[in-house]
Amino acid sequence: MTFLPITVAVLVAGGVYLVCQAGLVRIIFGITLLSHGANLVLLAAGVSAWRTEPLNIPGSTDVADPLPMAFVLTAIVITLAVTLLMLALAVIGGDDDTYRMPDTGEDHHA
Amino acid sequence: MNDALLPLFVALPLGMAALGVVLPGRLMRPLLVLTPLLTAAGGVALLVEHATGRPVIATQVGAFVPGIAIPLVSDTLAALMLAVTGLTAAVCVGFAVLSGEARLRFFPTLALMLVAGVNGALLTGDLFNLFVFIEVMLLPSYALIAMTGTWRRLGIGRLFVVINLLTSTILLIGVGLVYGVAGSVNIGVLADVDSDDPRFVLAVSVVLLALCVKAGVVPLHGWLPRAYPATSGSVMALFSALHTKVAIYAIFRIHQVVLDGAPQWTWLAFVLVLVTMVVGAYGSLGERMIRRLLSWQMVAGVGYILLGLAIGSRLGLASGLFYMAHHILVMGALLLGSAAIEHTYRSHQFVRLSGLMRREPLLATIMALALLSLVGFPPSSGFFAKVGIVRAAADLEGAERVIVLAVVVVASLGTLLAVLKLWRGVFWGPPLEDLPSGERGPHLVAPETRAPLRMVVPSGVLLGASLLVFLVPGPVWDLTVRAADGLLDSSAYAAEVTSP
Repeated sequence: MTFLPITVAVLVAGGVYLVCQAGLVRIIFGITLLSHGANLVLLAAGVSAWRTEPLNIPGSTDVADPLPMAFVLTAIVITLAVTLLMLALAVIGGDDDTYRMPDTGEDHHA
Repeated sequence: MNDALLPLFVALPLGMAALGVVLPGRLMRPLLVLTPLLTAAGGVALLVEHATGRPVIATQVGAFVPGIAIPLVSDTLAALMLAVTGLTAAVCVGFAVLSGEARLRFFPTLALMLVAGVNGALLTGDLFNLFVFIEVMLLPSYALIAMTGTWRRLGIGRLFVVINLLTSTILLIGVGLVYGVAGSVNIGVLADVDSDDPRFVLAVSVVLLALCVKAGVVPLHGWLPRAYPATSGSVMALFSALHTKVAIYAIFRIHQVVLDGAPQWTWLAFVLVLVTMVVGAYGSLGERMIRRLLSWQMVAGVGYILLGLAIGSRLGLASGLFYMAHHILVMGALLLGSAAIEHTYRSHQFVRLSGLMRREPLLATIMALALLSLVGFPPSSGFFAKVGIVRAAADLEGAERVIVLAVVVVASLGTLLAVLKLWRGVFWGPPLEDLPSGERGPHLVAPETRAPLRMVVPSGVLLGASLLVFLVPGPVWDLTVRAADGLLDSSAYAAEVTSP
């Protein structure tokens, strides 16, 4: 079972690299990779050891643990919502974090 | 109080938030103020119940078996936090209503969702639900930060979103690791796990690391003094009372209940909190705007609160919690006072303000008392908060005692300098009219312009609460001691959370 931790490592490394970039769109991609890594960590906490489907097997100890799956489902929904919000911010903000100054006369000290 | 009423602390603000989407603003604004007040009243009712009847009450939402259900638990600490944060949130949104900010579309909805998330995070007995409620609390905050404040809010909003989402991801990884090691994320079950197991300690410390970023502990504080001042004064006051304080509450709970105080890491806790206190106190000195100066003092306050946790004795924990209650009230008073200045004089820069002491006697008095409270002078809650911390530190042994007491004095001096700087920049100096207005001077205001009384009152209410705590500190002190007892002996808490 080394393939799960390696996948997590690759996702987190790529995510950290992208989050350190300047543009918001790259940061969003980085965050997406990081959250995939986090979801795999959650899955690794419960699923990989028990592989059987939870169907008609009363009392079986091989049944996959449903709780981490529920966690991952919740986490995916939350990340989806925030990713959408950040994409919206990336669109409406334009390049105002790097170049544009407002017409109101405010400066960085305001 | 019936156990089954606990979910109402989350359901009521959420329901009101939904109502806010359809109701016209004129009807919604009174509800916006009333709802946090109701949850604060619920917190007080819980405090009475904990003092006279059962010290801990819990409910498994939906009557699922423990471990699968969503557990909500209230003990003295949670109820105290509910009462204080509810009151402060009500005053902050009250200011937003009076200043017209609450007229923004969806402001009431977003603020109430924030309150629902905070109440949930304070009551939850489960690490994963803590993550969920923190997200519920953060999502409306992203929108609030993007709709109020200066033009920089969009750029700053990105910083805020990215930092918080990154931290939430780390929190989630920590929760996953805890589940992998312990097979549960229920705090009641985790309390019984052997806290000497290095794998378990490592997993929990990932959770604590994420919470430290959210609380603004140095060296993970950098986002806080950058992000918060870019929003408007009332939203910053709301964030200051709720966000960092929820993170600190969770650190107290996890450190004491799950890790049993982690005595082997006390030295690290001391280093972090002492550095936080000093950096926060002196970081203020480089700022030239009221709320940016205050945001560094928020960082310093986090240090004082967590110093109580690092000391770890009954007295230490109680004075840390007392300091937290004091800090929420006084920081709220200062930020709302600053917001009143901003609304009237359209700036919170020192170069654009001068001589407000004679111009705004009432506001100046409120700010003066609140600033003295921040340093720890009587007559306000800050005095007893600092006395408690110093007394707890004096019970330490040997070099530890000397170092901690010395750092408390040095950091307090830094706060005093920062307070003087603020006072000199805003309240002293020639009258506004005598200064040339323009690029580096005050905005043009009519000579008769004064901050309207309705904007000064919210700040005064919070300061009044702080003064009341100074006059009758006994009841609040008893509450914090009982809350500290609940943290030191968590068996009742653990038993309630895990019982169906």
